[in-house]
Amino acid sequence: MLDAELAAFIESPVMQIVGTADAARRPGIARGVGAWRTDDRDTIELVLSAWQWPETVANIEANGRIAVTFSRPSDYVTYQIKGTAILRPADEGEIERSAGYTVAIVSALMRNGLLPEIIAPWLTARDAVVATIRISSVYVQTPGAQAGTKRASIRR
Amino acid sequence: MTWSLVELEACFEGVIPSIISTADADGIPNISYLSHVAIVDDHHVALSNQFFAKTAANIRLNPQATLLVVDGHNGAQFRLDLRFAYSMESGPLFDSLALQVEASSAQAGMADVMRLRHVDVFRVLAIVDTPSPVATPARRKPERSRLDATRGIVERIAAAADVDGIVDATLDGIRERLGFYHGLFLHCEPDKTQVVAIGSIGYTPSGIGAEVPLGEGLIGAAAGSGKTVKVSDMSRIRRFGSAIRATTPDENRTRSIPLPGMAEAMSQIAVPLLVQDAVEGVLFFESAERLAFGRDDEAALAIIARQAAASLALCERLSLEGESAGHRPSDPPAGETHIDVVHHRFDDSVFVNGDYVIKGVAGRLLVFMVEQSLASGRREFSNREIRLDTSLRLPDFKDNLETRLLLLRRRLEEKMLPVRLIRLGRGKIGLEIDGSLRLTRQ
Repeated sequence: MLDAELAAFIESPVMQIVGTADAARRPGIARGVGAWRTDDRDTIELVLSAWQWPETVANIEANGRIAVTFSRPSDYVTYQIKGTAILRPADEGEIERSAGYTVAIVSALMRNGLLPEIIAPWLTARDAVVATIRISSVYVQTPGAQAGTKRASIRR
Repeated sequence: MTWSLVELEACFEGVIPSIISTADADGIPNISYLSHVAIVDDHHVALSNQFFAKTAANIRLNPQATLLVVDGHNGAQFRLDLRFAYSMESGPLFDSLALQVEASSAQAGMADVMRLRHVDVFRVLAIVDTPSPVATPARRKPERSRLDATRGIVERIAAAADVDGIVDATLDGIRERLGFYHGLFLHCEPDKTQVVAIGSIGYTPSGIGAEVPLGEGLIGAAAGSGKTVKVSDMSRIRRFGSAIRATTPDENRTRSIPLPGMAEAMSQIAVPLLVQDAVEGVLFFESAERLAFGRDDEAALAIIARQAAASLALCERLSLEGESAGHRPSDPPAGETHIDVVHHRFDDSVFVNGDYVIKGVAGRLLVFMVEQSLASGRREFSNREIRLDTSLRLPDFKDNLETRLLLLRRRLEEKMLPVRLIRLGRGKIGLEIDGSLRLTRQ
């Protein structure tokens, strides 16, 4: 599901936002702090803070349903990945990788004119967990005529 | 901590994109950024939905939605639990949101993409702080009494007896009492195709005489729609219109006066001058600060603009009734200096000693006075005789003569030309000439 281009995109400095829902279908929101491909083309891994986003963590634990949107601040190129996720605590290497992502995205946002103190409240890896997401579909969400369509170039 | 929507004002200025999450009938989530969120009342927000069909479909299957908004001052994040209430495709709130979307999209070069189709209104069930890894600094905005300041400015405008006084009381008042330092006072041409700057503060050159077509940029959007339009973070949008240009040589070639602008502007607001709901002009201010114009500032500027518009209309009315006494002081003896006035008939543009002054009706007015002065040595003119002269082709109804004379007078002053106008009292104007005139028509 994940071609090289999209894999490179999710590993680049892009904003990562996470949608989930509880048993009553009430939606949740969280921000991711780092994502990467795995050896399996159908899965990605995403880091988020269980301290900052407890509802999202509870939702994933309850039903695994997840949507993650990746958006590049400089040109609004955006993709949404949907699938099911399982959670586990992040290991040291993953926390380090997440820290690398945070430095890169803060730099990218600052190049876009945002002040670091505005960004600081959004991104933390406190009580970091890793969601391993099995991808079921990928959508183009870049603003424009293609928004909402399935990404055609991706083949299983 | 519990919050009310009004306290979250700085989250709804479009500085940091909001995020919306929904889920379909099976509980499959969908998450996306949202371009515009507006406060409807104490318990409702409206979300513009230009192209995310999935979000729109989900809320019709499952009316629950969650919104994450960010305070543009300090980055604080808030989660809003929402329930879909209703959708609208017309009405004042729709129009005002559509205008904001169009103005900011057009400036980003995405006018065609971001056409607003409908607005979804949600009831806010709860507002919850999101934990932050850092202490967010307290709100920056000082508590200034906008109401008291507005009263002071409105009183000053209402006390002004001429167009000059009204324009100055408005711009100076806003600078002194509201603390906005860069602004323009633009008046609508009677044919309603453009607005023209007749007052200016904080810019060099002033840009007096600059024209903005209706519908162009923030100023044109406010003039065309009769609604306030603002942008709170220009770094996300490309600048519109002619920002910073060298003026003099360009002006002489193009016969148009560039619109002034701050290179570093972050926030801009354009408020229409309304008289009985007809647009008579636009009040424009800009600031190097993000989020410079809050809801209270918007309200204050709207009240001030209404008063300025009513006062201007009254002035034009009063100028139709007789003139007051007043005589110009006698001229110093005309020197040997020659003053060349050139009138181009095709656009009524006037050049004095090679410098472009003005075109259109204001150009005809200047030529009329120069002609009369050459023919009979007259240097005093009344509004009445100007109105009676058919060669000037003033509109019969609502000629805005006072405003045009003000524009002409300020333009001559700014260019420091040897021909100037002076106001001699209500309905009377004097011509000052330092040299001997020669008029050429082309």
